[in-house]
Amino acid sequence: MKNDMHIFDLNAVRRNRERAMRGDANFLHDWCLDNVKERLAVIKREFDTALISGARDSFNHEKIGHTIHLDLSQKTLPAQNAHPAHLICDEETLPLRMNSADALIDILSLHTKNDLPGTLIQINRALKPDGLFVGTLFGGETLFELRKSLTHAEMQCRNGARPRVYPFVDKQQMGALMQRAGFALPVIDSELITVSYSDMFSLMRDVRHMGEASALHDRTKSFTGRDIFMTAAEYYHNTFAETDGRIPATFEIIFVLGWSPHESQQQPLKPGSAEVRLADLLNTTEITTGEKAKP
Amino acid sequence: MTHDVDPKLLEILVCPLTHTTLRYDRTAQELISDKAKLAFPIRDGIPIMLVDEARPLEDKEIKKAR
Repeated sequence: MKNDMHIFDLNAVRRNRERAMRGDANFLHDWCLDNVKERLAVIKREFDTALISGARDSFNHEKIGHTIHLDLSQKTLPAQNAHPAHLICDEETLPLRMNSADALIDILSLHTKNDLPGTLIQINRALKPDGLFVGTLFGGETLFELRKSLTHAEMQCRNGARPRVYPFVDKQQMGALMQRAGFALPVIDSELITVSYSDMFSLMRDVRHMGEASALHDRTKSFTGRDIFMTAAEYYHNTFAETDGRIPATFEIIFVLGWSPHESQQQPLKPGSAEVRLADLLNTTEITTGEKAKP
Repeated sequence: MTHDVDPKLLEILVCPLTHTTLRYDRTAQELISDKAKLAFPIRDGIPIMLVDEARPLEDKEIKKAR
């Protein structure tokens, strides 16, 4: 029986990430790291114990006292120093005590979770009250050109399409998920990064080297015919190429930031507790409910 | 060289399946979850909290909660 919850194959995700450690296409990963560091720098708080998932490199920050690195595999953790604080785990079954971490930072791993809402709930539970969660993940616009080209080619050559590019979550959905997971004061934003490539094949090479080759459970495991790739590359070029003949590839990075709820955070007032009448502020007469406004 | 597990990390770790407290077996370098009947290995001071890497416990190894 097919289990719908298994979109991603964890072993394939792990293998892909290990491959990225040897690759030379970590530019998006590095960009996310820099961006997260900048965002941490402007937060007026310090964090005693912070967990960093997927950093790949040693992550140090002036706002963090003690850093614990976690990942799916020993090979993707940063090189061991004298005092290792490393943990191998899957964030979908996060082995952390409730209210134990001051911050959790995730670098580009949330887009390969089978149960993203559950993962976010577990992260929230592991955080102390007023603990911070910062996550980065690929969003829905990512590789839309490649997805379209491959689907087009497969429809043409095989009369049917198979899943090849991940089903990414949208920014709007991510906002709803953060609220559902119980995060207070969530902030969601995203950035589009367009990378220029000579052709579709160099783009696909980079995607593999990033550690982002398909880890879909239902991915095509058999050899994909040359005709499909040739048709897709041609379609990609004809549809999206710039005037200089190079093709653009879009990556959308979603940033999420949320806090574990705490009474010190800003709270909405109780309905009816306003001290100033809106009508007074607007310098107008109030029309009570039930009475219709005149046209 | 064997490393010890980071004490702060040890303090916050629980069983990934049952969320219960773990027993630290320093000689065997294992973190034991009596409730899940699993022993999670520690390699070079790195706890490996993945269920498919854990060793199933034999009945005599399980300590009943007092």
